[in-house]
Amino acid sequence: MIRVSREKKTAFLAIPALVFFIFFFIVPIFTLLALAFNPKALGSIAIQPVFTLDNFKLFFSFPIYRQSLFNSLWLASAATAVCLLVGYPVAYTIARTPSKRVQAFLVILVFSSMQIDLTVRIFGYLTILGDNGLINGTLIRAGILSRRLPLMYNSFGAIVGLVNLSLPFLILPLIGIIESISPDLLNVARLLGCNRWKGFLKVELPLSLPGIITGVLFAFAISMSSYLIPVLLGGWGSAVLPVYVYQQISNQGLWQRGSAFAVVLLLTNLIVVFALIRYYSRAYTRRLMAA
Amino acid sequence: MSIPSLKLVELTKSYGKLTVVSGVSVAVDKGDFFSMVGPSGSGKTTILRMIAGLTTPDSGSILLDGKEISGLPPERRGLGLVFQNYAVFPHLNVYDNVAFGLKLRKVSKRDTQGQVHDLLTRVGLLGYEKKYPHQLSGGEKQRVALARAVVPNPKVLLLDEPLSALDKKLREEMKFWLRSFQVDLATTTIYVTHDQSEALSLSDQVLVLNAGRVEQVGSPQEIYESPTSMFVADFMGLTNCFPGTAEATDGNQVQVRLTIGLNVTATMRHKPFEIGQPVNVFVKPEVISLTPKAAAPTKTVNSFEGSILQRSYEGALLRYKALVGEEQIDIYAINTSENRFDEGSEVRICLAPEGVVVISADESERTVE
Repeated sequence: MIRVSREKKTAFLAIPALVFFIFFFIVPIFTLLALAFNPKALGSIAIQPVFTLDNFKLFFSFPIYRQSLFNSLWLASAATAVCLLVGYPVAYTIARTPSKRVQAFLVILVFSSMQIDLTVRIFGYLTILGDNGLINGTLIRAGILSRRLPLMYNSFGAIVGLVNLSLPFLILPLIGIIESISPDLLNVARLLGCNRWKGFLKVELPLSLPGIITGVLFAFAISMSSYLIPVLLGGWGSAVLPVYVYQQISNQGLWQRGSAFAVVLLLTNLIVVFALIRYYSRAYTRRLMAA
Repeated sequence: MSIPSLKLVELTKSYGKLTVVSGVSVAVDKGDFFSMVGPSGSGKTTILRMIAGLTTPDSGSILLDGKEISGLPPERRGLGLVFQNYAVFPHLNVYDNVAFGLKLRKVSKRDTQGQVHDLLTRVGLLGYEKKYPHQLSGGEKQRVALARAVVPNPKVLLLDEPLSALDKKLREEMKFWLRSFQVDLATTTIYVTHDQSEALSLSDQVLVLNAGRVEQVGSPQEIYESPTSMFVADFMGLTNCFPGTAEATDGNQVQVRLTIGLNVTATMRHKPFEIGQPVNVFVKPEVISLTPKAAAPTKTVNSFEGSILQRSYEGALLRYKALVGEEQIDIYAINTSENRFDEGSEVRICLAPEGVVVISADESERTVE
């Protein structure tokens, strides 16, 4: 009884967040969904009482749009894979650093790139990856290369940018999970006959799975919905879906089509996220119970 | 003479300026239950970790069946290890936990099943194969950890305070069970604990450590009844320490004049004492008998008059604090009608000479410092 009244008393604290959430998230999402199923109307965002699948039909009938969805999936998957390969050793090292002070410093270091605005970071990459940038310029001047390496305006450039964007979000949840795995488990595995590497594979890696999945979830969702990086670093050769969402709305003034494209992007993202969460919950219940 | 199962020679380990293990040499016989006991920071866990290969010694050697193993990685030492916190693999069920070591050794599936079945029977966890660690109690997890360590048939089993995370009642039960389990297996076992009663009740041999050095090695009886240093006597829970001087020796008996003015006769255990040598006398609280003061003294040696200062009623046991002259003395008595005395009552206190331990004061100064 006391508990109920206490909950009632504190419930009002959630109201500001709720109001914000309703007006700036729920309402736009429903507007987006409604528009996606409306016939195209140039420059109008008024919801019409007409239901149509035309926008979706259009999306799937043009190879260029289908390709953009594929590009998005491929770039996000590749960037996530690179993040995992690069991020796991970093997270592992930080998690197993005995000094808490050094650990805190390393975590700050991981997040330091986020102190700089994304656009600024991208322009930073232009100076590094560009045709006359740091890498190409140095290597050519040193006589190591005779021709420029294509580091930008292709998948490579996009992936580099996406990894930079999403890496911290993959590393952070991993650190916590790896830290929670008792070093004694590895020690016991060693005594039972595992070498260092095998002990990692058989004990630490499976136990860090919840952290891997959380990190992958973040990295994938962030990469998949990124617009600026694929455009500025990836070029038009590998245009991603958000580019066409932008194009439909900004260039063509067709909010309905743009909304439908956005819904496709959203659903694809959700499918991947839910698949991972399903897998995650199975791995995580076991892990949670063990703690 | 047979080669000892495990031999440590001049094992030393320092962390920076702090020496945690200093020149420890000891031999453990095959099949023995060998305990390393000491307060926290005495280096017992460090020694265990060095045997296991989880910590590298600065100097000294570790011989397993006569072969040097200190250069080998842990996985090639053929040892079993159980930690205080169980360290059962949370992502594997009971069967896979126990079978872990066998699978690594590429033992056939049939043999693995047979051996796991056998071990689970021994630890009383048959039918638990499919359960996950989170479904087990502390005691069950501990037995899984033990089965897992034992199933690959290790040359030596290392136990790091395996009972200390269990509650008191379970700990007592597990203590007896562990001893019979070990006797049954006949695997040489190194047991680390800070609990002297655990060490005494479980072991064939006990090593008492103090600040990284060996204080005394011996059977539980030797350690408890004939401690060679103040530290060991104190650590084994001997109270009632009185300083004095050796006055006279007669056969295997020594007479000590205590500084409080009383004469005490004790049985000598180690080297003879010189006349006039300063000594410390320990009187075990459980070998002191109490009789009413009015009753005629039955013995003439070690018989003193005193009074009961305080009584603590503990069920099976009565603990007294008695006053002899100016000195307080602890007495434990079985709770029988003859042993019940009220606070303030005048009593006769008798000490059996074999229950009085005399330790050279020079020696005790060295160890206590």
